[in-house]
Amino acid sequence: MYKIKLDQFEGPLDLLLFFIKRDELNIYDIPISKITKEFLDYVNLIKMLDLEVAGDFILMASTLMHIKVRMLLPREVDEKGEEIDPRSELIQALLEYKKYKEMSEELSFLESNQRKISFRGNFSEDEKIVPPDYEILLKNVTVFDLAKAFKKAMDKLKPEVVHEIKKINITIDEQIAYILDLVEKNNELHFLSLVHGMKEKLRIVVTFIALLELTKMGMIGIKESTEFNDFVILKIKNG
Amino acid sequence: MDNIYSSVIEALIFSSEEPIGETEIINAIKGIDGEDVSISVEDVQTCIDNLNTKFEEQKLSFKIIKIANGYLFSTRPEYAKYIGFLSSEKSKRRLSQAALETLAIIAYKQPITKPELESIRGVNSDYIINTLLEKNLIAITGRSESIGRPLLYGTTDEFLKYFGLYKLSDLPKPREIDEIMKDEDFQEQKQRILMNMIEEKTEEEASKESDDDD
Repeated sequence: MYKIKLDQFEGPLDLLLFFIKRDELNIYDIPISKITKEFLDYVNLIKMLDLEVAGDFILMASTLMHIKVRMLLPREVDEKGEEIDPRSELIQALLEYKKYKEMSEELSFLESNQRKISFRGNFSEDEKIVPPDYEILLKNVTVFDLAKAFKKAMDKLKPEVVHEIKKINITIDEQIAYILDLVEKNNELHFLSLVHGMKEKLRIVVTFIALLELTKMGMIGIKESTEFNDFVILKIKNG
Repeated sequence: MDNIYSSVIEALIFSSEEPIGETEIINAIKGIDGEDVSISVEDVQTCIDNLNTKFEEQKLSFKIIKIANGYLFSTRPEYAKYIGFLSSEKSKRRLSQAALETLAIIAYKQPITKPELESIRGVNSDYIINTLLEKNLIAITGRSESIGRPLLYGTTDEFLKYFGLYKLSDLPKPREIDEIMKDEDFQEQKQRILMNMIEEKTEEEASKESDDDD
């Protein structure tokens, strides 16, 4: 397979022009069958590499195959009774494209010349007295400029970030009382059921600290639970 | 016309950030010194020519150039290397082949819609159009009346400045392919010429590209 550097071609028309030049083909008498085969080889190569770009090439490949088929059929005739070359549209497109490709080289030449000069800049340092001009409402501004500027301003507008801190009123003493109350009623209490239904992290933490505190004071006991990751809180008689 | 306006014109161009046209210059002079001042577009042009001659005689590093429908001060090309060393703006990358190609089509076909552009190029051009819009080389000039009312694109003054053109008609003329196609008598002959030209061009590109690779 003929290997070609991918970014060498700007598109399917560019690639076709390359084939035409390389094989010294007559642009007005393109051997469709040969060029279609070459084109498909190339498309298969780029399909593996870059599907997005390949889309345009595949479209051209199908156009080429369509032309190839039409070449085999009896020629269609136009109003004047002249035969229509199925390739004529493609040739037109190629020439049109070639025209602008040439112009882009002219532009490239102008670009190189222009890069050699610099315009006067740094105007902000200039001394100036600007008289106010209230008469000009819109100068060199189109509706699209306004819309663009408005969109830009809106895009820049970041939503204000607000951090809210909720104070949870909870104390260790409260939780101690709460636990003692529950243990009093139930004798045995699973830790997970104790914290079940507590929404705030802080409440669970404080409850846990309260548990530790109670254990230290010897007011409750703690024993292993049969369930994984849980423990049982016991009432200790006589405090 | 009095020669005193020579300095005024120099000051006006010097202080102008964007290219300033003859009429703007004349308006400024008449606005200050009265409508009865006799100064024509040709007078302004003569003044600018004289200023440029003066700059050259004094071997100054800058001159007034005619660009994008007006006049601007610019450095002479021989200082490009030194300016480029310091200025990051000029050391920016050149436009890609795809961008130049797209610009060429828009420049000659404007106002043009994206589908029209894409049908000539044969490739999707979303990205390129956005890049050119960002660089302010093209602008949306309106909407087409055709189905879907697609946006129309055209080149900007920035485009003229970028390529050093005074007005759009200064663009190099494309060869009229339609004419060659129509002329049946000479078609054979012209085919040969066309082929040669295409070959030459493609050869040039190939050598250019291999240079770029180096």
